[in-house]
Amino acid sequence: MSVYLDYQSAKPVDPRVIEEMVPYFHDSFGNPSSLHKVGDEATVVLEECRKTIAGFINAEKDEIIFTSGATESNNLGLIGYALRNKAKGNHIIISEIEHISIQNLAKYLEKNGFVVSKVPVDQYGRVNIQKLTDRITDKTILISICYASNEIGTIQPAAGIGKLCREKNIVFHTDAVAAEGLIPLDVKKDNIDLLTLSSNDIYGPKGLGVLFKRKGIRLNPLLIGGGQEYGLRSGAENIPAIVGMKKAVEIMQKDKKKEVDKFRCYRDNLIKNILGKIPRAYLNGHPTERLPNNAHFRFEGIEGEALLLSLKDEGLSVSTGSACSSKTLEPSHTLIATGLLHEEAHGSLQLTCGRFNREEDISAVIKVLPGVVEKLRKLSPIWAE
Amino acid sequence: MKSTQYSEKVLDHFRNPRNVGALEGEDVYTGRVGNPVCGDLMEIYIKVEDNKIEDIKLKTFGCGSAIATASMVTEMARGKTLEEAEKITRQDVADELDGLPPIKMHCSNLAADALKDAIKNYRDKKGDSPHTAQETQISQKEIVGEKEFLAKGVYHETDDLSLFKDKRILIAESGTRSIETAFALIKLTPRVVFATTTKEVYMETGLKKKFRESGVKVLFESEIIEIKGFKEVEKVVIHDLDEDEEYELFVDAVIIEA
Repeated sequence: MSVYLDYQSAKPVDPRVIEEMVPYFHDSFGNPSSLHKVGDEATVVLEECRKTIAGFINAEKDEIIFTSGATESNNLGLIGYALRNKAKGNHIIISEIEHISIQNLAKYLEKNGFVVSKVPVDQYGRVNIQKLTDRITDKTILISICYASNEIGTIQPAAGIGKLCREKNIVFHTDAVAAEGLIPLDVKKDNIDLLTLSSNDIYGPKGLGVLFKRKGIRLNPLLIGGGQEYGLRSGAENIPAIVGMKKAVEIMQKDKKKEVDKFRCYRDNLIKNILGKIPRAYLNGHPTERLPNNAHFRFEGIEGEALLLSLKDEGLSVSTGSACSSKTLEPSHTLIATGLLHEEAHGSLQLTCGRFNREEDISAVIKVLPGVVEKLRKLSPIWAE
Repeated sequence: MKSTQYSEKVLDHFRNPRNVGALEGEDVYTGRVGNPVCGDLMEIYIKVEDNKIEDIKLKTFGCGSAIATASMVTEMARGKTLEEAEKITRQDVADELDGLPPIKMHCSNLAADALKDAIKNYRDKKGDSPHTAQETQISQKEIVGEKEFLAKGVYHETDDLSLFKDKRILIAESGTRSIETAFALIKLTPRVVFATTTKEVYMETGLKKKFRESGVKVLFESEIIEIKGFKEVEKVVIHDLDEDEEYELFVDAVIIEA
């Protein structure tokens, strides 16, 4: 048996996307910067893709910057904005539950003279707008808060944050990678100024990301060269990948409602059964304001890496917030920020479903998990019936 | 190297840990080591006869390599004299398992330490070594930030319980009253943490069971040393007295009753 329930970490590319990309490796290989016919054709394709992808988040065509992935988009958004606008102020606010990519960018900016504040979250992992407002000073130039948590799936109050930023004349960046394709994104409605997307997170190819930059926002480029992407991201555009992402968006726009309903059904099934069948199991994250494909648990008395290894033996690919499976041996900062103790953060299990899951996958987890948890609890000195 | 890239031998001991369980009886000695920050906890039980480890069992809360090293240490120590068993090092355990990912070496450290602790407890009891009973003296220190956040998340009384609905609460132990407060608050919010500097919470047996089952999370041998926040309480720094480590806990309110 082989069951993959870790779509948050990586997704397979949709076969329809691959098919769409193939001609652009050999037949239509042009560089949009070239002035001849082959180059012109590439320009037409590039601009069509830009338009479709802009439509996905209700942006304008020329507000889309292609990058090499979400990490680069976050870099360009945060470093690019901070460096360009440091005369306006040196204060940046992020949340306690940002993806490691944003956390480390914040550290980098701190080393380069910026002051970073972190806004805490409530027990469900949601940023409190009042606490965010309290942290704003006249030096605050940028607020970066994810659209939804990549770990526990809690959806953040983006509209409220956007409104606040607009009132205070602060730029709002959001890393929307965890949310894309799962909940509607609308940069106009939510007053978002900078937004990060990843191609792979909507079943497009890896190695491509997007930074949405609202018109009028000024950035410093990080890659200097031929001046592609409005001078903000030099390097010949990766046309096959861009075509792939466009196709991924089209598939998403066509099937999204049905797909999201399916995820929600799987997720609710997982939550109901796992909490019902396993004693002292708890749901991490928000009971309702959570991504439709995210089920995140903790089990008292056991440790996540041991759980993950046991499930691996049963053919299940899943994720954990346990320290023991991380590079630093630090437990998930997100779980700690919700108020959990280290030992509690250790016993966590993240299940994220996706396009190629079937009902049987969900049943398999529900069947296998209680036994595995029971076996590990028998070993545990901190578990008592 | 990935932190979970284990040798076949580690995986075998993880999948089929040897000597799982606890031993009981007068001649059984327990070694217990843990690390609250890392989260691992290990218990080794030994039964000693004629200066030899006749039987040995383990319990462990930890990752794959914590389980495997505990299992391995029980195999290595069984039948050995106390002097031989004492000499088992973390490197010995790792070597027997065909190596561990470098970042996981501390787990094998725990296993060997738990064994040493069990042997030490045996010796202490038998009078083989000078008995070093230490009375932990907890002086009532002032908590940094307590005054600053008074009424902004720090409360000295809990007359108005509605303040605490759905909040993450930390209660500092202060006798019967704080226990009553914990019972009252767990009905209003799912998250009540109860910190006590002692090894156990003293109360009558019937109440103890009720307390354990109430859902209140108890932190033993833990001292609140600092309260932090921005205008309001946001987190506390807790000192684990047993391990002498400090860590932060995100909370919305801290209750310190007289």
